[in-house]
Amino acid sequence: MMQYILKRVLWMGPLLVGISLISFLIMHLAPGDITTTEASFNPKTSQESIQKLRKLYHLDEPVIVQYGYWLKRMVKLDFGNSFASHQRPVFWQTKDAQGNITKGMIQQAMPITLMINVLSMALIFSVALPLGVISALTHHRASDRAITIFVFIGFAMPGFWLALMLMYWLGVLHNLLPISGLHSLDAERMGLIAWTLDAGKHLLIPVFISALGGLAGISLFVKNGMLDVLHQDYITTARAKGLPENTVIYRHALRNAWLPLITLLGLSIPGLIGGSVIAESLFAIPGMGKLFYDAVLMRDFPVIMGILTIGSALTLVGNLLADIAYAWADPRVRRGVAG
Amino acid sequence: MKRVLANPLACWGLAITLITLLLALFAPAIAPYDPDAIDVKQILLSPSASHWMGTDGLGRDVFSRMLFGARISLMVGFVAVGIATIIGVLLGAISGYYRGWVDIFIMRLVDVMLSIPTFFLILAVIAFLTPSIWNIMIVIGLTSWMGVTRLVRAEFLSLREREFVLSAKALGAGDLRLIFRHLLPNSLTPIIVSTVLGIASAVLVESGLSFLGLGVQPPQASWGNILTDGKEYIQFAWWLSLFPGLAILFTVLGYNLLGEGLRDALDPRTTN
Repeated sequence: MMQYILKRVLWMGPLLVGISLISFLIMHLAPGDITTTEASFNPKTSQESIQKLRKLYHLDEPVIVQYGYWLKRMVKLDFGNSFASHQRPVFWQTKDAQGNITKGMIQQAMPITLMINVLSMALIFSVALPLGVISALTHHRASDRAITIFVFIGFAMPGFWLALMLMYWLGVLHNLLPISGLHSLDAERMGLIAWTLDAGKHLLIPVFISALGGLAGISLFVKNGMLDVLHQDYITTARAKGLPENTVIYRHALRNAWLPLITLLGLSIPGLIGGSVIAESLFAIPGMGKLFYDAVLMRDFPVIMGILTIGSALTLVGNLLADIAYAWADPRVRRGVAG
Repeated sequence: MKRVLANPLACWGLAITLITLLLALFAPAIAPYDPDAIDVKQILLSPSASHWMGTDGLGRDVFSRMLFGARISLMVGFVAVGIATIIGVLLGAISGYYRGWVDIFIMRLVDVMLSIPTFFLILAVIAFLTPSIWNIMIVIGLTSWMGVTRLVRAEFLSLREREFVLSAKALGAGDLRLIFRHLLPNSLTPIIVSTVLGIASAVLVESGLSFLGLGVQPPQASWGNILTDGKEYIQFAWWLSLFPGLAILFTVLGYNLLGEGLRDALDPRTTN
């Protein structure tokens, strides 16, 4: 088991190098170099900030040296300072000469996005699993049909449109839910319970929206997995020896069907993180997605590069956690039977 | 083909995709108005007999804009998926046929691409280029070839050991002949299915980008940016946001149904 985890951790090294290469290439996609792009998009760009940009990315050096610097800064998680937001540090807090601490932009945004993603994963897991099982057990009957229709609509639903509709219907028309931000204006004066309820109300639609696609996909996946497992010989055996149907389904079938789900949840992380752009910018939630969107609009390159890299690193960590969880849940891997 | 038509999912999917395709193709003939004609006397009219889907904040006919938007949205979907499929088939074929270090390299590239959140990647590229319909097609295409690559590689790996391939090889068929005459034609089913499903997700991505203002730029209409306009007027003009959303939903649904239906109908493993 330890060996397996170690192998997985070591494997992240080459992946990170690959990510650094691709992000470096993207930076060099811009016609000319990024300072000309910066200047053409933002006529107010001063000569001074162009010089800063050149210095930050070592644009005067040969390309291979530039990449070396980029790689070094990635390893140190140093993404420089934002151009647009008063020179705030992109990733982590810094202390100036007077000992004042300036919080990093990603440092503040990341917990919010992580929380939304963990909540959506919990929602996906707790709804998709029963839906998939019900669908498989009532295959070709009314409830299976209804769930299948829901799955297909969930797949095809443009999340931002549904968010807009829910925002208008529940927020504006019926005034049931707040439509922007993470807390109400008077949140500071609330007690813990009221504060949590308030944040929950703000997060209800965004979490639902970011979970919808995964919900549909994973219910379908659980259903197909269950259908596969239910046709296996050991299920017939279990039934033949007279086990109650519930034991057969929950102890024998489900435990085999839901294993691949862990990997799938891990694989859905990049989609969830990437998807946060739309939900967060629509609901003005100050997470990484909104930060990224604002940075793209302002062409704030250090922030763009920082979030791209941190987002990918988060994905790698998520996949690693999924792998470990899988190894822990599957006795074949846990005891080292299979590779 | 008969099996495809016998599948209810595929039939519905085919019907929806054909209808949207025809509407888009014949948009100039069907559209009752010029989609870009501004008429300040006809601002924000609700749906009626003369304006089926109402008019927008500049007095443009929403139905006409939806039809022309369909052209843009579908074209982005087709071209982006075309690019992704070509890249995916080539890399997957090379990977599965030659194996060895080329295979290792390509598969690691796939791993790397899959670990970068796609939407971030697309937005980052758009930030360094200018948002235009061509850039969007290319960017979506360049960020969505990984699934096809894996699929084609897996097919090739299993097919290359089969008797008909071995016998063709024994008869002296060259690499290119083996790949294009024997292996590729036998891997078509999963490629077609993933292409159809890919169109659905490309249409979704394009509409999301345009909705954020980083996709197709106005005045050119796309379903995504009609919806962005609608967002501004949502309190006075529901039709501006309702119709483009429904259009995206049904189109994506159509391609998904068609894709799943094709998979069910063409894949011998899932039919019982």
